[in-house]
Amino acid sequence: MSNLSSLSFYIPELIIIIAILLVIVLDVIPVCKKYTFPLSLGAILLASVFLWQSYGESHGLFMGMISIDPFSHFFKMIFLLSTFSIILISRYEKQLDSNYSAEYNALLLIVLLGMFLMSSSINLIMIYLSIELVSIPSYILAGMLKNDKESNEASLKYVIFGSFASGLMLFGLSILYGITGSTDIGVVTAALQAIEYPLSIYFPLILILVGFGYKISMVPFHFWTPDVYEGAPTPITAFLSVAPKAAGFAILIRVFYTMFTLEGSVSATLPLTNINWPTLIAVASAVTMTLGNLLAVQQEDVKRLLAYSTISHVGFMLMAFAIISPDAVRAIMLYLFIYLFMNLSAFYMAIFASNKLNAHHINDWDGLSRKNPVLCAFMALTLISLTGLPPTAGFVGKFYIFAELFKHQQFYWLAVVAILNSVVSLYYYFKIIKSMYLVDVEGEVNKIEAHPVVNWSIILFSAQNILFFIYWEPLIGFIEKSINLWSG
Amino acid sequence: MYQDFLPIIIFIVLAAVLIGVPLGLQHLLSPRKNKGGDKLISYECGELPEGSAWVKFNIRFYVIALVFLIFDVEIVFLFPWAVVFQDLGLLAFIEAFIFVLILLVGYVYVWAKGDLDWVKMNVRYGKGRYANLQSKGETS
Amino acid sequence: MESSILTLLIFVPVAGAVLMLFFAMLYGKENAHYYKWIAAITTGIQLVLAGILYLNFDPALSITESPFTVQLNWITHFNIQYFLGVDGLSIPMVLLTALLSFICIISSWKIEKQALGYFSLFLLLDAGMMGVFLSMDFFLFYIFWEVMLLPMYFLIGIWGGPQRMYAAIKFFLYTLFGSVFMLLALLALYYYSDPHTFSLITLIQTVGSIDATLWGLSVKYLIWMALFIGFAIKVPIVPFHTWLPLAHVEAPTAVSVILAGVLLKMGTYGFLRISYPLLPGEMVNFAYILAVLGVINIIWGATNAIAQIDLKKMVAYSSVSHMGYVLLGIAAAISDSPAGAQAGMNGALMQMFNHGTITAMLFLLVGMLYDRTHHRWIVFPNDYEKPELAGQQGFGGLGAKVPVYTGFVAFAFFAGLGLPALSGFISEAMCFIGGFSVFRTLTIIATLGILLNAIYFLRAYQRIFLGPLNETYKDLPDITHRELFTIIPLAALILFFGVYPAPLLDMISPAMDGIIKIVQSVI
Repeated sequence: MSNLSSLSFYIPELIIIIAILLVIVLDVIPVCKKYTFPLSLGAILLASVFLWQSYGESHGLFMGMISIDPFSHFFKMIFLLSTFSIILISRYEKQLDSNYSAEYNALLLIVLLGMFLMSSSINLIMIYLSIELVSIPSYILAGMLKNDKESNEASLKYVIFGSFASGLMLFGLSILYGITGSTDIGVVTAALQAIEYPLSIYFPLILILVGFGYKISMVPFHFWTPDVYEGAPTPITAFLSVAPKAAGFAILIRVFYTMFTLEGSVSATLPLTNINWPTLIAVASAVTMTLGNLLAVQQEDVKRLLAYSTISHVGFMLMAFAIISPDAVRAIMLYLFIYLFMNLSAFYMAIFASNKLNAHHINDWDGLSRKNPVLCAFMALTLISLTGLPPTAGFVGKFYIFAELFKHQQFYWLAVVAILNSVVSLYYYFKIIKSMYLVDVEGEVNKIEAHPVVNWSIILFSAQNILFFIYWEPLIGFIEKSINLWSG
Repeated sequence: MYQDFLPIIIFIVLAAVLIGVPLGLQHLLSPRKNKGGDKLISYECGELPEGSAWVKFNIRFYVIALVFLIFDVEIVFLFPWAVVFQDLGLLAFIEAFIFVLILLVGYVYVWAKGDLDWVKMNVRYGKGRYANLQSKGETS
Repeated sequence: MESSILTLLIFVPVAGAVLMLFFAMLYGKENAHYYKWIAAITTGIQLVLAGILYLNFDPALSITESPFTVQLNWITHFNIQYFLGVDGLSIPMVLLTALLSFICIISSWKIEKQALGYFSLFLLLDAGMMGVFLSMDFFLFYIFWEVMLLPMYFLIGIWGGPQRMYAAIKFFLYTLFGSVFMLLALLALYYYSDPHTFSLITLIQTVGSIDATLWGLSVKYLIWMALFIGFAIKVPIVPFHTWLPLAHVEAPTAVSVILAGVLLKMGTYGFLRISYPLLPGEMVNFAYILAVLGVINIIWGATNAIAQIDLKKMVAYSSVSHMGYVLLGIAAAISDSPAGAQAGMNGALMQMFNHGTITAMLFLLVGMLYDRTHHRWIVFPNDYEKPELAGQQGFGGLGAKVPVYTGFVAFAFFAGLGLPALSGFISEAMCFIGGFSVFRTLTIIATLGILLNAIYFLRAYQRIFLGPLNETYKDLPDITHRELFTIIPLAALILFFGVYPAPLLDMISPAMDGIIKIVQSVI
């Protein structure tokens, strides 16, 4: 489709682009600076309205650069929801300097745009471009607290690691281009089917996996995650743990589902069967889960603990990714959706604790259940859901992923590793619950109230854990209709 | 196909050998004593060096280079457009106009925030030890 | 009406908990008064419903024919049904749960600290336990099984003794470790059965035809082992029992009662409900090991109990020992003589019920002693904080001061060691009869357990209640009416079923015969 006619399908992104420009312009004019916050929120709402209207379309836009299809639609809804929530709550976070709020919002919107492109890109160059568009503002956002040494350290580590990983990924993409002669994913897929030396695909595949693995914090490319998550301001940590990971998974699924499998079935990858990349992914998944859990057990800082726990969740999702069939993709998408709510509410609780109590260490959370019982109850619900115990939505997500392994009768050893990791994860999640509930606090405790926005964000997001346990069938139906990737 | 890569292999091996062999020979043949000392001082035409070679580098240079880089890449993109846009019609003109407009917004931002001044006039310190400091010049 | 009794049994406690939350929102959280009464009324209603269920229960009907069965489609995607049913195997457990929940609420009348949390968690636990015993769909069973764990963690962790945090997390981790293996077995059964299903009734027919192998072992064997690990931790089978003494001792009294009275039965219930009908071939191969483990439980539990100086820990180890009888009984299902198999299985299920009542009574009595004297040491340990008391007797001659209480303790101890005319004897004897028909030597060794039980119970009784009165306790108050109200029903049941076990046996025999038939058909 030519460039001009593509624009009519590109409206949500256009709204975001105009919002970015307007926010920057309004930031410069001192009188209008206070309108940047409602402007960014309004732009996200408007974009989501237009996005809903265009559901079901399936086109390739801009001459094969990006594609609008139900798959990208699902992920875009996740991005919009998480960015909206993060922008909303960042306003009430004490650490962030309100002077830079307009730039902060603009950067978040740029990351949002990049994630939109990430979930839609079907051209190798576009893949690289969108990943960079997400990464570079993230570097700045991680270092947003200018006078905080940890924030600066986080940003620097993120930059160095991210650039390195992106460089390797670009190398892999260019080798792929060299082998197949085109940057369009559809043409690459066709060329890969007819390739003479299948072994030469291994090298670019590993390099591309480096780049994507860095984005989703797969072991052994996870080293940036704990330091960045600990140093960055907490809303940014929450954002990074949810949205770019979902985008990374979107692009991972799109690339691997389209390019390296034949019609979404691993067994039918004819020329590529000598390359046992599902086993590679399975091993990576097992290592990721185990490492994430074992390291989280030793953590004493809540944010760092949650960072390591996100690594273990990624390992879980990769477990389904090793099967790579439509059912597995459905399981990953469901898990990402539920994971969004769980993680955001957990981090918002950390925001509440650090705002009101200056609490960073787990021991600072002692007796929190008597200071604010309602929020602690919801936090306990979130932690139970993160562990994957019934009757919460986290269990549903884990159940689907396990079901995929059994349905395709592969990688049973991975299932055993996963359940053992579930038990280990119980221990560190319950360290927080123990601190909140079980530890006796002497003397008078005064109640602490949270700001209404923070309060209701935690409650609403945490209530989804029960809601999606009772009511998950419509969600699965929606996801099934969304596994419809347009390519070529 | 793999035979085409043979020169590259030879190159790599040769490069490794050409560097590694002299270094190894030097290590084997050099005298054990009398290493270091005056031989390690940096050369400054016979004068003895004073102080450290590491100078405090003003961050302004970095900012200037960064801003220059952005607009230089813009120019690089505009050059091929300038050559062919007449044949592409009105649409190409409007597209490039939008491109320049977006970068113009960035330029306005950099200008208004004072990053183009050699000495930044309206510095605002963020939260922290220096939050109550004001710089000379504007007060907000 | 009949089809909704089971649903009501599970969800009335949930409704009670929600009602309590509403009260808290409206009237503020400070009045423990309301929550106690709401909880008591809720469990009372549950007890009445269980009674109605018992009166209308016809043991000859199987699950599919029974009018109480509820079968609705819940999640069509995975063919999960909301399938509740009651047959001879579950009805004693249901009655036990309802009775013990009510009694425990009455016995926790004095809880003041964070009463809302305590009672609402207790009601959720109650709902979970009922759900486990009533669900006929494996997925639903698993959900309720896990739902039980969470309130237990909080109940032990917040209202427990000095080491409660360690006890709670150890209990949770250990039991979760077992249940995740059950999750794997659950999924394997679903995907390997021919029309994919979770329903336990359908699986009985379809599991027989699974003949896949994995890693050199048959899939059915792996499923059996996974289920075994899950249930063995709950029973608890030595050596997976180390969570039990800690959890029992640190939990508050009512929670100990529920833990020992109901939760321990779930392991063997799981064996009988799931492992036996679905995987009879593996069971037959495994029966000898089950019997050996049962005997180890009996002897190990009893010898450990002899060594204890903390009264509550002694009772906890006696629970381990008594569950060994159940294991011996259920291992006897492979017996050649039908009378032996019936005796073993019926005895096992009866032992589950009887042990529930007996151990509930024991823990309640220990709790009453602790409430009055604030320690449970039969003999003070050598490193006790007050060195002048180290090595001394903790109590002594209390029989003179609290005669009614002593009488009940004597009753409970005699029930625990299996005195004839009390229900413990009947069930233990039937387990031995069953076991003897298959495993001669093992049963002979197991009968030693009765002697060992007698040793520690009688020795504890003598040390605490007989002999000269310990001067520190010359003002001990006797048993109150509320406490009498909690233990008299249990004592009555123990005596009644000891003298006239026929009602219980008639209720459970047809279901047990069904399971025996399935097992015997593969021998």
